[in-house]
Amino acid sequence: MALAVLCLLGAVGLFADFTGYAAAHWAWLAKIQAVPALLALNLGALALLLMLTLVFGRLYCSLICPLGILQDVLAWLRRVCGSKKKKRLGFYGYKAPLTAWRYGFLVLFAALVAASALAFLPVSYAGMLDPYSSFGRMAGQSVVPLWRVCADALAQWQAGRGVYLFEAVPSPVVMLSLGVGALAALSFAVVLIFAVRTGRGYCNTVCPVGTLLGFLSRYSLLRPVIDTDKCNRCGSCGRRCKAACIDTKKHEIDLSRCVVCLDCINNCSQGAISYGLRRMVPAGDGEAQRPVMAEGKPDTARRAFLAGGAIVAGAAVAAAADKLTDGGLAPLKDKKRRRTAPPAVPPGAVSLRRFRSHCTACQLCVSRCPNEVLRPSLSPDGFMQPVMVFTSGFCRPECTSCGEVCPTGAIMPVAVAEKSAVKIGTACVDASLCISAAYGQSCGNCARHCPAGAIVMVKGDNGNMRPAVDEARCIGCGACEYHCPSGTAGQLSANTAAIYVKGIENHQQV
Amino acid sequence: MIMEKQTHTTPDRGRRRFLRNLGIFSAAGALVSCGVRTEADGSGNDNGAPGSMTMRRNPSTGDEVSILGYGCMRLPTVSGGSARDRADAIDQEMVNRLIDRALEAGVNYFDTSPAYCKGKSEEAVGKALSRHPRDSYFIATKLSNFAESTWSRSSSIEMFENSLKYLKTDYIDYLLLHGIGMGGMEAFEGRYITNGILDYLVEQRDNGRIRNLGFSYHGDVAVFDRLLEMHDRGEVKWNFAQIQLNYLDWRHAKEINPRNTDAEYLYGELHRRGIPAVIMEPLLGGRLASASQPIARKMKERRPDDSVASWAFRYAGTPEGVLTVLSGMTYMEHLEDNLRTCSPLEPLTADEDAFLQRTAVEILENDTVPCTNCKYCMPCPYGVDIPAVFAHYNLCINEDNLPRDTSDPRYAEARRAYLYGYDKAVPRLRQAARCVACGACVSHCPQGIAIPAVLRKIDKYTDNLKSTPKA
Repeated sequence: MALAVLCLLGAVGLFADFTGYAAAHWAWLAKIQAVPALLALNLGALALLLMLTLVFGRLYCSLICPLGILQDVLAWLRRVCGSKKKKRLGFYGYKAPLTAWRYGFLVLFAALVAASALAFLPVSYAGMLDPYSSFGRMAGQSVVPLWRVCADALAQWQAGRGVYLFEAVPSPVVMLSLGVGALAALSFAVVLIFAVRTGRGYCNTVCPVGTLLGFLSRYSLLRPVIDTDKCNRCGSCGRRCKAACIDTKKHEIDLSRCVVCLDCINNCSQGAISYGLRRMVPAGDGEAQRPVMAEGKPDTARRAFLAGGAIVAGAAVAAAADKLTDGGLAPLKDKKRRRTAPPAVPPGAVSLRRFRSHCTACQLCVSRCPNEVLRPSLSPDGFMQPVMVFTSGFCRPECTSCGEVCPTGAIMPVAVAEKSAVKIGTACVDASLCISAAYGQSCGNCARHCPAGAIVMVKGDNGNMRPAVDEARCIGCGACEYHCPSGTAGQLSANTAAIYVKGIENHQQV
Repeated sequence: MIMEKQTHTTPDRGRRRFLRNLGIFSAAGALVSCGVRTEADGSGNDNGAPGSMTMRRNPSTGDEVSILGYGCMRLPTVSGGSARDRADAIDQEMVNRLIDRALEAGVNYFDTSPAYCKGKSEEAVGKALSRHPRDSYFIATKLSNFAESTWSRSSSIEMFENSLKYLKTDYIDYLLLHGIGMGGMEAFEGRYITNGILDYLVEQRDNGRIRNLGFSYHGDVAVFDRLLEMHDRGEVKWNFAQIQLNYLDWRHAKEINPRNTDAEYLYGELHRRGIPAVIMEPLLGGRLASASQPIARKMKERRPDDSVASWAFRYAGTPEGVLTVLSGMTYMEHLEDNLRTCSPLEPLTADEDAFLQRTAVEILENDTVPCTNCKYCMPCPYGVDIPAVFAHYNLCINEDNLPRDTSDPRYAEARRAYLYGYDKAVPRLRQAARCVACGACVSHCPQGIAIPAVLRKIDKYTDNLKSTPKA
């Protein structure tokens, strides 16, 4: 249990940490998740999961899957808060498997994976059913922004004492997205209802990973076994089984649904259940493993969810206050992003199509991007999948965060040295908005900040200097779009940058 | 004091010092026996090796000019300050002592102007110098007709005649058109061309009242170039020219003051034509007389007994086309230190030259911006919070949180402090990166800060810091 809690915290940490420490040390936590490993064809991870399940049963669901552990936490809270009578009797009871639903969701999932793999569908919607990605979206909309607020407050407090913890704390507001937030809230509600009412009902009905692992866990080497000689048919184990998989009347445990939490062993007053080799009569003293209840663990997700709302409200108040203060500063406008087709996706994505079919929209890269460039897309052909937006930052040449953490292989790792040679888009100039080309003011900010040296200021038709892009040299990092004063400077009428990056379908080497 | 220092040094270094002192001592003894005047300076420094002053030859008149020239812009006042900053009377007695000592040690070039010390410099210098034989020194003064009221021919000639009167002489060894380039081409035309004063001065040179005619340059480089064109065409032959040269101005003049020009160019143009260069501002207004601790340390590691200022003097005096290096010496200590440096002036080695070029970059990078947060530059039309950017940068310099070198053990922490503090102090969209260099702020800055250039430097620095995360 302690291990499970560690895994959950690790997964949360992976999303919340922006310093690079978690990404360097815990990225494997995301990479051993079943669906990402499947999409990435990460054979090592898949073999590990296969072996784990064949030996221990669905330990994955209790130990590795963050959504599973989250449900355990929710169920535990419900038990803590429940009535004494219920506590004595237990909350669950054996239920027959909802086989049709289980296979229905699995087939749907398989169809979605196949459809995007075989290019019937341009985007992978399989991520909607992936428990890890679902968890990621929840964390990304709640704990992560909350943590950023706290971390910033902490860092500021410490900075006042001459201690500097972080080099920067990304804006918490950047993480929040209406579309992803709504979906995350919806999935959280579903998971919450399932967890409170049925324990692991979600895992054993909706989750395709649960169903898939269920096929294997039927044959697992180690499993809970009931000693019929010792059993007094009290039914206690069945009522306390989160997975509702112990048929006490028949002395049968549905191993396809058992998540190996071993609560049953702990609860059996007769010591009749043990975890051991199949068909082997257990030793009888039931001493084997005494599961430990998760202790004093706060309901992070729910609290964070509520706090997420508070952050949004707080940020709005702060933004309003900012406008009123300091008459010495020229007003800044919110630069509107320029939606381009195709959108730009990070180096390592290789091609837009490949990216779309691999990404499960877990938002890990979004929460890890230190430059606030990656944002979930709201367009239907890539819903919730990240795209690059250059209004509050650009894809800095030394950063390779997204590729390091992406568990599905949608964004492949790219070395820092290689990165500046990967072309993900091309800058386009809208001279009618350019303060230099259209209004004759001195600027050249795009040319000055271009890390590829791809922009030159040339004399335009009207005699004014205007930027010109060497498309062969431009890598589409967005430094020009970010630094363009058009769309930001209050005195200009334009609300978008005059130079902007248009993505390309297939990334190229320059 | 020497003994005290030695107790802190390692035995080996103490021995070396002893041997060195012994060498100096015997050399001094040898000089005394040769009849060259040496004198204990009493200023407490133990390495006053009073050799003879390095002299340079002016090719047009054959003058042997001391490499150290006495700048008379900062003469001492009775209240103990410099007449450049204070309004009280000049301390004539002190001026006499300083000039006596300078002459005694071989300094023979005295540079003044009708404009210096609220107009009192020439008179004070004249009083002091007239106590010595006229052929034992060279007087340099200028036609400082800056004010438009003095542009007329009669006013300008009156100014020149007054100089002769105040300096108690009937000829000027070195006369300069003062500060050509200031006020651009228009001012040059008004001061020297339309009123025929340039022709008048050439005439005076021909009849011997001026021995050498030259100019001093600040500001618009087009005027400098024009004067050299006149020289090339043979209209006016310049006997010398005075320029600002020091290891910062050599290649980074624009970063210090956007109206200045790199000394590398100025000196190059003069030297190419064989025009001797008189150097002003070798210490950049005193800035190079002190250095930050890390820089001072490096200098002391190379030459433990030499002052920080001596590096600047040696830098300015090393080029062969330099006739003399002017220093505005208010106090006897300044004079003594400079005499030590220049008697004789040891030219920089190539390695030392490279060291000073690196030092120049380091100084400029480590330089606080002289922003007083008056906010006259605001609002920046592009939303940059200019005073806040400067304040953060200065804060990091002052707290030594400006990481330079990834091998610095404090690099990671200083980097975090700089970057986190920057985002906190200035929202990203108001940081230096947003400056488009429109220049709207420049004319508003009372400190004359080249705001766009400084913002760009800070932006570049920040960007570099972001892209080198690990030590």
